[in-house]
Amino acid sequence: MSQNLTATLATTGLSRGRKSGYHATVKTTVPASSMDQLEADQEIIARVLEGHRDAFSTLIQRYSDPLYRHALGMTGSPDVAEDILQMSFIKAYHHLGEVRGRFDAWVFRIVANGCKDWLKNIRRTHVSYDEDDQPTGYANPDEELDRTELRDDLDSALAKLPPSLREAFVMKHVEGRSYEEMADLLATTVGALKMRVHRAREALQALLEEKYA
Amino acid sequence: MLDNNFERDGHAEPSRERPNRADSGPLSDREVPLAPVATSDVVNRWLDGELPEPTGLQGDAARSVEFWRRIGEETDRRRQLVTPPHLSSRIMAALPPMDTSTRVSPAIGKTLQMSPLTAIAAAVGIFALGMLVMNALSIR
Repeated sequence: MSQNLTATLATTGLSRGRKSGYHATVKTTVPASSMDQLEADQEIIARVLEGHRDAFSTLIQRYSDPLYRHALGMTGSPDVAEDILQMSFIKAYHHLGEVRGRFDAWVFRIVANGCKDWLKNIRRTHVSYDEDDQPTGYANPDEELDRTELRDDLDSALAKLPPSLREAFVMKHVEGRSYEEMADLLATTVGALKMRVHRAREALQALLEEKYA
Repeated sequence: MLDNNFERDGHAEPSRERPNRADSGPLSDREVPLAPVATSDVVNRWLDGELPEPTGLQGDAARSVEFWRRIGEETDRRRQLVTPPHLSSRIMAALPPMDTSTRVSPAIGKTLQMSPLTAIAAAVGIFALGMLVMNALSIR
């Protein structure tokens, strides 16, 4: 863990080494229309800024799932993903008065930058998902063993990609975002992102195909 | 001494023999074999949702599709992950009380609340100010 992250953790009272659970249910809390969403978020932000601190939990619950998946995909560690999310929401809370436009895009950028900073600073010791945290819905142990192996190999291969390719792959394949949405969040073009995703796929296939293809 | 750039091997450039190539006709008449559609392009377009899953492929192409099908199962599973339930309360517990100096109204959705009497007084004040400005401008 980087010095920066360690220092921030110390100030925010985060703890290390806890067990992190995986919960395989999908929550859909995003309102249908983005304009409704924008207005709903602005109302909540106004309430928080008026002093209703508890209203902030609505924003956390509304947006934490995609942000958690992003942080987990980028770092490969549930603990680090949780810490990055915690730091990001605390930062968002402190700067809530500066939100212009979409809160979800704004907080995504905070999380994405937190992940990139962590990747920049980390001295890589391979961090893998905790075996005990995984849901076990497999008929036989062989199938589960195969899947665990693939999961670990995919993590290792992702860790070898440059952050920009990894980010593009995670957003496209793990978060299931469209190229247009990615372009909007990362302030770049659809063409550039397609190129990054294609290059990430090439690199991953080159790293894994000997074993899996 | 300057180099002679106009002759080589003792021959003037136009008199040099040129190979009689079959494809040296006009460009439009030449038969140019089309590059085969790259398998990786087909796979990328499938993974991007632009094409249905390729079928009937053989060799490397078939292995590539099978590879991405397996990776897809893993990424689909990761897409179902949600935030651990304790995280929200942990973040809320870590939030400091909001400093009054940071209590700034957001730029969008700001509402101004005032009583009818205050609103009328404000309107009269703005009207009076406007009249004063108009008078000052007409005097000049």
